Amino acid sequence: MSARGIASGLSGVGIGLRAPHYAQVLEERPALAFVEVHSENFYAEGGAALAWLERFRAAYPLSLHGVGLSLGSVDALDPRHLEKLARLADRFEPALVSEHLCWSSFAGRHANDLLPLPFTDEALDHVVARIDAVQERLRRTILVENVSSYLAFAESTIPEWEFVAEVARRSGCGVLLDVNNIWVNACNHGFDAARYLAAIDPRTVGEIHLAGFERIGDRLVDTHGARVSDEVWALYRAAIARFGERPTLVEWDTDIPALEVLLDEAGKARSILARPSREARAEMAS
Amino acid sequence: MSGLAALQRSFIEAIDGEGATEWPGLEVYRNTARANLNGALADTYPVVRRLVGDAFFFEAARRYARAHPSASGDLNEHGAHLAAFLAGYEHAAGLPYLPGVARLEWACHECSRSADAGPLDFTQLARVPPVRFARLRFGLHPAARLVRSRHPIATIWQANQADRDGVPESTQGAEYVVARRENLAVRVSCVEACEWDFLAALARGATLDEATSNLGEPEATRVLGVSLARFVSEGVIAGFTPPAAEA
Repeated sequence: MSARGIASGLSGVGIGLRAPHYAQVLEERPALAFVEVHSENFYAEGGAALAWLERFRAAYPLSLHGVGLSLGSVDALDPRHLEKLARLADRFEPALVSEHLCWSSFAGRHANDLLPLPFTDEALDHVVARIDAVQERLRRTILVENVSSYLAFAESTIPEWEFVAEVARRSGCGVLLDVNNIWVNACNHGFDAARYLAAIDPRTVGEIHLAGFERIGDRLVDTHGARVSDEVWALYRAAIARFGERPTLVEWDTDIPALEVLLDEAGKARSILARPSREARAEMAS
Repeated sequence: MSGLAALQRSFIEAIDGEGATEWPGLEVYRNTARANLNGALADTYPVVRRLVGDAFFFEAARRYARAHPSASGDLNEHGAHLAAFLAGYEHAAGLPYLPGVARLEWACHECSRSADAGPLDFTQLARVPPVRFARLRFGLHPAARLVRSRHPIATIWQANQADRDGVPESTQGAEYVVARRENLAVRVSCVEACEWDFLAALARGATLDEATSNLGEPEATRVLGVSLARFVSEGVIAGFTPPAAEA
């Protein structure tokens, strides 16, 4: 694993740190293995945002999680965006840097959302080359996260789990496995989540994300606006049984609750990390 | 065009468009993309939002995003053209101060995120021979921003901060405004027209001589004798370039 550069030295559970909790986290210093922030929230030359980040970095190991690099777009990589990320990574020396296996822009126009890729050989070649370019510029291995999706392209020829596994195998990047996104997609597209886990090489998994979804109409939507569901906790147990202990993050982005709620979710994840259930082991062995 | 490029083009056009598409789940992406842009605009323009109310603000935000599509993966950059958009927005014509307030909020947004800089280096300044003072070029702090309007935009801005009732002390008269950082917080204050002109000249790289050349004698005396020291102590002015030694 270390040969591939996936090992971050992190172990345990962190939370996605958002503005409503900045002051409280620094004041109370809850026991967290790391904090993760959205890189773009700190794309500034100076001022308050970076001053906060200095203080977080002094208190906790840091993970930079990007949402706007548009890795899978056919547009050229935005050099300004990549430079801002490189400067942030150089200055704060995060334990992890991650982005999403998606695209966001075409011909310079940004949707500012995590848009799904068609799972084709062409998209695979393209995104692998782009990850190479990013890893080369940052001079480090990045993690790339599987995203939720609300439609399946007729053009896709490769199952999502094979696509994700192949991206990691060919680019040498790590996988940030979001088990909530796996569950959301399994429900939206009708596949077996266990099959997804089984396709991912444990050596490539560098982090796991947990979050809550909401049912909107006939779809599950990855709103990051609820507690982690029972089904996703079960999938997380299965993931830990298969991949071993992995740094795990609880995220909440809409209707952000009291910090205590996030810490409570983090505590649940911690108890699973410490003691993967017998049922989950049995499930994976069968 | 490759298959991937063709798909990305039609998909992003579909997100921008309205009505049914070949993709049944597209509405989720439309909603999220719109919510992300609206959220970014609302974060940057809380006073404009309060002045016009949510329904007006988010409709304007929707039309703004059409007129000025997001061109960056960094949402902090969405909103750079809102003041210009509002100046030409027919439904905002009854609020003539609105574009000026928007310019002030964008200035505050930039101010909050600009580079840090220490205070002026007085030791270095003391090395400049007094005969060369007129040729000194003082520079503004990288976070300082200057905004002026025919309307009292700073008064309106102050009255519409979260802890205020929204009733400005006046709605008439021009204001000359400086946004600066103080202990990381953005401070907005009014200055005199001659002070604003002086700072604007410094921002363009003028020498002290040049920056006061268009001021009347009493204004020039006051700006050099009083205002300059105040701007340095407030951190609006944070650096200088000495005159060339041979000059």
